[in-house]
Amino acid sequence: MKQEFIDAVKAGNVLTKKCTKCGHLHLATVYFCQNCGAKGFENQILKGTGTVATYTIITVPPAGFEKYTPYAWVVMKIDGYELRVSGFLGGIGSPAQLPVGAKIKIIGYDDRGILLEKQ
Amino acid sequence: MEKVCVLGAGSTKYGKLEDSITDITIQASVGAIESAGIDPKEIQAGYISNVFGVADKQVHLGPVIMSNLGIPEKPSLSIESACGSGSVSFREAFANVAAGFYDAVLVAGTEKVTHTGTEWTTTYFSYCSDFFYEGGAGASFPGLFASMARAYLTEFKATEEDLAAVAVKNHENGLLNPKAHLRKKITIDDVMNSAVVASPLKLYDCCPFSDGASAVILCSEKFAKAHSKNYVNVIGSGRGGSPATLQGRDHMTTIPSTKLAAQAAYKMAGITAKDIDFAEVHDCFTIAEVVDTEDLGFFEKGTGVQAVREGRTARNGDIPVNPSGGLKAKGHPIGATGVGQVVEVFEQLTGKAGERTVKDAKIGLTHNFGATGASCAVHIFQSV
Repeated sequence: MKQEFIDAVKAGNVLTKKCTKCGHLHLATVYFCQNCGAKGFENQILKGTGTVATYTIITVPPAGFEKYTPYAWVVMKIDGYELRVSGFLGGIGSPAQLPVGAKIKIIGYDDRGILLEKQ
Repeated sequence: MEKVCVLGAGSTKYGKLEDSITDITIQASVGAIESAGIDPKEIQAGYISNVFGVADKQVHLGPVIMSNLGIPEKPSLSIESACGSGSVSFREAFANVAAGFYDAVLVAGTEKVTHTGTEWTTTYFSYCSDFFYEGGAGASFPGLFASMARAYLTEFKATEEDLAAVAVKNHENGLLNPKAHLRKKITIDDVMNSAVVASPLKLYDCCPFSDGASAVILCSEKFAKAHSKNYVNVIGSGRGGSPATLQGRDHMTTIPSTKLAAQAAYKMAGITAKDIDFAEVHDCFTIAEVVDTEDLGFFEKGTGVQAVREGRTARNGDIPVNPSGGLKAKGHPIGATGVGQVVEVFEQLTGKAGERTVKDAKIGLTHNFGATGASCAVHIFQSV
């Protein structure tokens, strides 16, 4: 199920699961509807564009991220939906470069997780 | 349901400790047993919380601790719930004593990580997040709380200096705690000028990585009355959960599990937030204490920073928060923290808190969570 999600991210999209009973949307990795508890879902692909909901600029990184530091980790609100997805956004050194509300998009997936970029 | 009491409490100093994880856990446990004035053989079960025992080559701590206490035949449970391990473990012990399964149990929390260094701890602690979305995409724990801080500073009238004021207050309290990790007075400027870890959080907005162990003896009221006059009643216990990720939450300036746990604990105790005389809350980062004090119902959402500015949460304020120094100054040995909060409340309510005593306190609250509040427990205590 994660691989299906990653494949969508590689194409710049977000794979969501729409509950066939109540219509509630979830990120791909859920097995029962958070709203109604039903188990039936259909795929819905959302365009991976949105705005910065919140973010941080990391200067003391976990292992494996040293060569990218400083970088931002961002929670993105997906355009048109009350749904968020978070990921890595490189090349950011100061808060002025990435205000809350800035337009961003998904550009791929690698060992840094979901990769985001300013639009 | 049986009434449940805390009969004794013990703790090592928090900080960089030389002794092994097993040794420090035993030291805290022996302290609790002696404080309770009981024979170890009266303990019927052990609840041992720890997260990174692997760092000191010892997991499955329960039987090791029970064996060292001379009671190898007694059952134990080794519990991990990230930084909330101690309170979650305390809750399981509480439930079992309340249900009448046991008359007296040991609850011990412990952690030994400082010898591994900052990179190891930053990396391994990030495994406590939903790693696919957070740790695996470069989000450290300071980074996750920094993201909450950025959301808070954007949504409400608050500044980085307001957050710094939380650190200054907790360091002042820590100065009076002989077991605190950081016993050093700091100023707003010290915080503002300290190195950025994950913007907008700076080094002094963050609690330290600590070693340490804390333990309490939890028992039925009948058992307590037969042994001592110096015990504390547990009058409320609540648990809650939150989405494991920040992206899964509609609001990033509140922790849903705190609200759920607090509501349940207040309901069991038959009181409201207004009845709390002081609280030990989970201030892993300065922003966390602000959010906690709002979610616990002490202040309206968005006004927690104003309360700090006005000194309302200071030791002599109307609702003292973290008189022990909190995670920020007392230290944060993650598996021990939730139990250490109970040790502080026990000492406060039994006249053993010395210089840092909160005046006229009768009811104390502990609030401890794991990760960004994915798991949480709140407990309420009343003096006899």
